[in-house]
Amino acid sequence: MKASMTETSGFKTVAPSVKDSRATRRARRETREITLIVAAVVVLLAVGAINHRFVSFENIRFMVLNSVVLSLVALGQTWVIATKGIDLSVAPIMGLTAVVTGLLAQGSGLPLIGAFGIALVIGLVLGTINGLLVARLTIPPIIVTLGTYSIYSGLIFIYSNGTQVDQVPAAYAAFGNGRIAPWLPIPIPVLTLAIVLFLCWFALGYTLFGRAVLAIGNNAVAAYNAGVSVISTQVRVYMISGVLAALAGLVFVCYTGSATVTTGTGDHVELQSIAVALIGGTAIAGGRGNMIGTVLGGLFLSVILTALVFLHVPPIWYSAGEGAMILVTVTLGMRQSRAGKAS
Amino acid sequence: MRNPKKAALLVAAMLGFSVGAHAANIDTSKRIHVAMVPKLIGLSVFKANEKGAIEAAKKLNINFLYTGPVTASAQGQVDVFNSLIARRFNVITTTSNNPTELAPALRRAMKMGIKVVSYDSDVAPDARDFFIQNTAYPEFGKALVESVAKYIKPDAKIAILSSTPDATIQNAWIGALKTYMAAHYPKMTIVTTQYGQSSPSQSLTAGLNILQANPDVTGIIAPDGAAEVGAAAAVQKLGLTGKVIVGGCSDPDSIRQYVKAGVIKESPLWDEVKEGELVMYVARLAYNNAIHKNSTFTAGDLGTFTAKDGVIIFSKPLIFNAQNIDQYHF
Amino acid sequence: MKEVENTVTARRTGSRFPLDGWERSLLALLVVEIAGFCIGIPGFYDGIGSLLGLTQNFLPFGIVALGLSVVILTGGIDLSVGSMAGLGAIVMAEFWQGLHLSIWLSALLGVGTGAVLGWINGMIITRLNTEPLIATLATSFIYGSVGTALAGENPPAGFPDSFNALGQGEVGGLIPYQLILFVVLAIFFSLLMSRSAYGRKVVMIGYNGEAARYSGMRVPRVICSAYVISGTMAALAGIVLASYYSAVRPDMGDILLLTTITMVVLGGVSIFGGEGRIAGVVMAVLLLGVLRQGMLIAGFSDMVTTMVTGAILLTAIAIRNLVSGRGTGFALLFLRLRRLGGGKVPEAAE
Repeated sequence: MKASMTETSGFKTVAPSVKDSRATRRARRETREITLIVAAVVVLLAVGAINHRFVSFENIRFMVLNSVVLSLVALGQTWVIATKGIDLSVAPIMGLTAVVTGLLAQGSGLPLIGAFGIALVIGLVLGTINGLLVARLTIPPIIVTLGTYSIYSGLIFIYSNGTQVDQVPAAYAAFGNGRIAPWLPIPIPVLTLAIVLFLCWFALGYTLFGRAVLAIGNNAVAAYNAGVSVISTQVRVYMISGVLAALAGLVFVCYTGSATVTTGTGDHVELQSIAVALIGGTAIAGGRGNMIGTVLGGLFLSVILTALVFLHVPPIWYSAGEGAMILVTVTLGMRQSRAGKAS
Repeated sequence: MRNPKKAALLVAAMLGFSVGAHAANIDTSKRIHVAMVPKLIGLSVFKANEKGAIEAAKKLNINFLYTGPVTASAQGQVDVFNSLIARRFNVITTTSNNPTELAPALRRAMKMGIKVVSYDSDVAPDARDFFIQNTAYPEFGKALVESVAKYIKPDAKIAILSSTPDATIQNAWIGALKTYMAAHYPKMTIVTTQYGQSSPSQSLTAGLNILQANPDVTGIIAPDGAAEVGAAAAVQKLGLTGKVIVGGCSDPDSIRQYVKAGVIKESPLWDEVKEGELVMYVARLAYNNAIHKNSTFTAGDLGTFTAKDGVIIFSKPLIFNAQNIDQYHF
Repeated sequence: MKEVENTVTARRTGSRFPLDGWERSLLALLVVEIAGFCIGIPGFYDGIGSLLGLTQNFLPFGIVALGLSVVILTGGIDLSVGSMAGLGAIVMAEFWQGLHLSIWLSALLGVGTGAVLGWINGMIITRLNTEPLIATLATSFIYGSVGTALAGENPPAGFPDSFNALGQGEVGGLIPYQLILFVVLAIFFSLLMSRSAYGRKVVMIGYNGEAARYSGMRVPRVICSAYVISGTMAALAGIVLASYYSAVRPDMGDILLLTTITMVVLGGVSIFGGEGRIAGVVMAVLLLGVLRQGMLIAGFSDMVTTMVTGAILLTAIAIRNLVSGRGTGFALLFLRLRRLGGGKVPEAAE
């Protein structure tokens, strides 16, 4: 983040135009966050009234934990969408990292720190490839990541050759399941998410890099003319997305203790992460990103899906519930933002 | 080129003799092409079949190919079948993603004179010559119930965690286990059935949700590889080891840690490696026209099997527990 | 605003050849590919009948691609094609099995269901002003659930042979019914998009929605109709698949989505809308379809085939950008924005 700040610091020209609308944008962002929090609380209370175990500490802890992996991917996706892009390749990047680090840990006892290094390298390299294809060759992001989706998923098969991760060393399991301190029952993955969220929130809202991202999403030509280096910003955004997807893969393998060739792609993480980002108030048309909203969106999705189980809804309707939730949140959000614009 | 091949043949023949006189009964004079098409490539269970199949293929003078789609889709399998038909394979062996969609392509193969052997998960009966059933369904239903029922109260509440609502083999097992449970544990009730879509993460979430939403559940039966692991992980994460017993079926590598931790007491399956060997024996014999829909045959050192209406039951359930699980690696 | 329309039409009809440069390249590649496979891969060429028969394995993708092209030309996207295909086929099967309707009447109802589902998509997009991507993502989840619920534990299978012929049979043992259906549809869509007022409206909206609105076009109605077309074609593809498999499953359309987007884009349709022709899409469908079949017959695994498809997509679009010299991505966006909001650019540059 620091590097990007210093590098883009010459282009102050972009700041004023962003600053003007900052107040309105902040208002809009906060409405979405409040909406999501209120909605989540309403669901919690309503379902909790029917079955008090729904609001038990243990259940809430797992609802949060279950959203961590998806939220990490969705944070990266939020960066990309804010530049008016899209990243479908997050699913195989996540799966590849989970399989590679998991198999190395299982087979040759790779230490956890090494796994972080490998995840970082995988995310950086694959993300950079995406970014270069988008920015240098000016191929539309959806096409680039559709193509790399196929290629990266092939890498998973080539690397794993049909073996799967069944068990991870104790250090990994501790990272995936442990709590920060014995007296502080916050799971480590949740802490990880919180740190990543803070970094993303800060970088998007309070650094020149963040402003460059939003400026590109708003109007790439204007940003370019204003001196924002569109290409390097775009490449960085896909690098961030790749790294966060890879981190999500590592958290996944630590949390579940297993990974197969269908990790990520089989659960359609790419579509889910887009949905979560949009629920959170990020605009698919670019120029608007809401990191806190994304994480709240992931949480809300987890709460809804768990609520369906507590309400004894037949499992075949879970995905319909998810679809309906996306529609309601996003269309309501549209209404609000339009109303906000009008006033 | 020639000499090594001959040498290999000689070795194969010697191996064949070394394992016993049975193999000598099988005519292996002509080298044949046999493909094994799993639901998708890249899963340990199917890989275990492949391991056994490769061993047997050496003995049986089979040119063996393991190939399949990268996603668990019928379309992917059909594409693979079509290419195998065009490449004039002699025998296609497969475990199907679903019984109906694969049928036309396999019928086409049979019309071209290709023998079709299904194993694990069957296709429509008229679209294959033989089906190797892992274990008899009633016996497996019994084993699944016993893997949990022995360790909990007779009036306990049970949850089922399966793969998908329309998974053929899982539904057959669930049907069998319900029958057995009604007869032998009439007071036991199944309070919920959830699905993990054969995905580790969705199975884990489903497992957690089952336990949170149904605190009175003391047993989970998960007749699917990913589901059993997910259920066991959920029990462990909630600190319910010993209070909630998980049973089901999965390959020993994936459940080893949970069996050792006592989350899973027993878990029935069958020997996937040996099943892969049997698949190759049946493929060879089917090509030789040495077996019929109703006949008894000998498959090397695997023993004697009986085909009934084309269905060959591979074995009795093999039950993994803390004592024996380290003998198995697949 | 009329000016814009004129430039669009001029650009569209400027070429006298039925195929433009991109489509000619795709055609040449296709010819090379088929010839190469016939010579190089044993078992690929096994008589003209079997060569044509190969198309049965991928033409449902093509049918979806035709409908999806219309949506993408408007600048939208339809992620729900897969679940609409599955649901359309299941509705057909349930009418046939549950209500004992004739299979062809049921098929008609299945296609009709697709139209209704597409209409729902269109209404959500135009009335609720939802982004197409998010709207169709959400409805794909919902349609998928409905399909799974309708299909039940044992989805119907074993349709009458007369119906199965649609997906598996050939006219005179030579030309597959599927191929005839696809050719008819391809010609229809090609004429619709290049020769009709409707097609021009679609392209115009994709090229510049604002201009289209100001020129008095009923933009929401045209957009909505594009999704109806996409839904109809998806359901039709689902029914062809049902006939090909002689069975239905709720998840059988899942694999359609990513491949068909690849086909449409490789065919030269800009993912931002407003540019591209059906002829190119048809070429891309044949090119990718034959490639997959050929590679599998040559003994490459599904994994390699999938990776190669991804690589071809990237290379093709990269080459296209380099050759056309302006790109289809941000470069095109720059161009368009410059043309559009000419006033804004210097302001920001100050």
